[in-house]
Amino acid sequence: MRGKRGEEGRGSGAWRSGCAALLLSSLIVSIGSAQSAKKSAACTVNPSDAWVKRQAEWLDDSKHDWKNDSLRTALLAAAGLTAPLKAPAQVGVHVEGREPALGPTAGEMTNQLKSLATTRGSAWPGKSLVGAAGMHAVFLLAERDTGLARVALHRLMEAGPDESLAADVATLEDQFRLSQGRKQIQGTQFKLDASGHVVLAPMEDSAHADMRREGSGLPPFKLGICLARQ
Amino acid sequence: MRSAITPLLVSLLAAAPALAQSATADATKRVSFADETVGREPKTFAPMVGSWVITKEGDRKVLFIDGRVWRRGQPAGGLADKARELYGARNEDFIESIRAFAYYPIAVYKGIDNFENGEISVRFQMVGGALDRCAGILFNVKPNGDYLTVRYNGTEDNVVLWTFNNGVRKFVNRAPTLTPLELGTWHTLRISIHGTSLKSWLDDKPMHDYTLPAPVSGKIGVWSKTDSMIEFDDFTVKPEAK
Repeated sequence: MRGKRGEEGRGSGAWRSGCAALLLSSLIVSIGSAQSAKKSAACTVNPSDAWVKRQAEWLDDSKHDWKNDSLRTALLAAAGLTAPLKAPAQVGVHVEGREPALGPTAGEMTNQLKSLATTRGSAWPGKSLVGAAGMHAVFLLAERDTGLARVALHRLMEAGPDESLAADVATLEDQFRLSQGRKQIQGTQFKLDASGHVVLAPMEDSAHADMRREGSGLPPFKLGICLARQ
Repeated sequence: MRSAITPLLVSLLAAAPALAQSATADATKRVSFADETVGREPKTFAPMVGSWVITKEGDRKVLFIDGRVWRRGQPAGGLADKARELYGARNEDFIESIRAFAYYPIAVYKGIDNFENGEISVRFQMVGGALDRCAGILFNVKPNGDYLTVRYNGTEDNVVLWTFNNGVRKFVNRAPTLTPLELGTWHTLRISIHGTSLKSWLDDKPMHDYTLPAPVSGKIGVWSKTDSMIEFDDFTVKPEAK
């Protein structure tokens, strides 16, 4: 789930809006009647849950206090996002091969971000520079480009929780670790097996997964798996 | 007479190594959390920054820095009382420094007033942390809040010596070896200090061999960073004479 996506997107706009409607319905409303009530309850995102409230607080752009509006606008367009974002923007479910489409300027913005990240002393975007939606756009671009993920991850961690959404950082780190042949640690990355079933990518220390996910502002592990398999 | 003395000498000679070992053992302090209360702050350490609590890991009680509740610039509760306990009348500089830079969770060991030479080791297990996963040994803690730390960072896979002076962190030396560690597994960080010589090991693999600008003298403890979730156990100190 990547937050509310715009309907003005080009090319795959219909797919994106359909995807947004599907994902939104899976989060806020209990899932379809074909599933049992028990499973439905387990797969429901409750707006009053601590992790959702934490994201809502972080995602609040209502003060319009970011410093670089043109960069923010360019980031949102590149990621195909429309602000403001609704919580949860990040549920920590990334299924390989099922990534949402980005905007037509994604490639150009990805290169710009890579340049920023690798230039010593450059102003890497943070929430104070491009707002919460702008930072989520950075995440969406980084998760689609291993080269950007490599350089952005360090910058996002270094910036700290006021400037980067911890749930985005955690999800991106999982993806990056897998790309490096390591195991994920949060349980946010899924793959499709030969039968088309969604399966969890290799993970280490699942015993402490819920503690980690709580610290990162992600939903409980069980809920994450449930959402991924919907 | 000879027959009476001989058994006495034999028993004294036999006891000598045991006595020496006992003396060494007496000097060595190994912290156990077995008698501590789960969910409470440790009695053996004074948490200055961060949420340090005793937790249960399997059948053991361990010390846990809980980064889930980390907030930027927030000292641990009761800081003034703890600083007074550690430094008496000289506690105000310490409090000021800690408050000015409450970014790095630290807990000061209460069992040793002044560590100058010897070894310090601690077992640690990384549990989590989105931004950091740091486990460090704190040493050379001065009454004004300055200190040194050798730490492992699980987000960078490295062991680094940092110095903190007047609330400002400065990189000193990075061990050349990158060592990725799995979360949920126990490892040992160890340092030895003899005069200005500092050496460090991670799981017995040499990391640092560094010369400090001045000898070490101060309190010791454990260190972490921002939202790290780390479990510590078997904090062991082997002080040696100069």
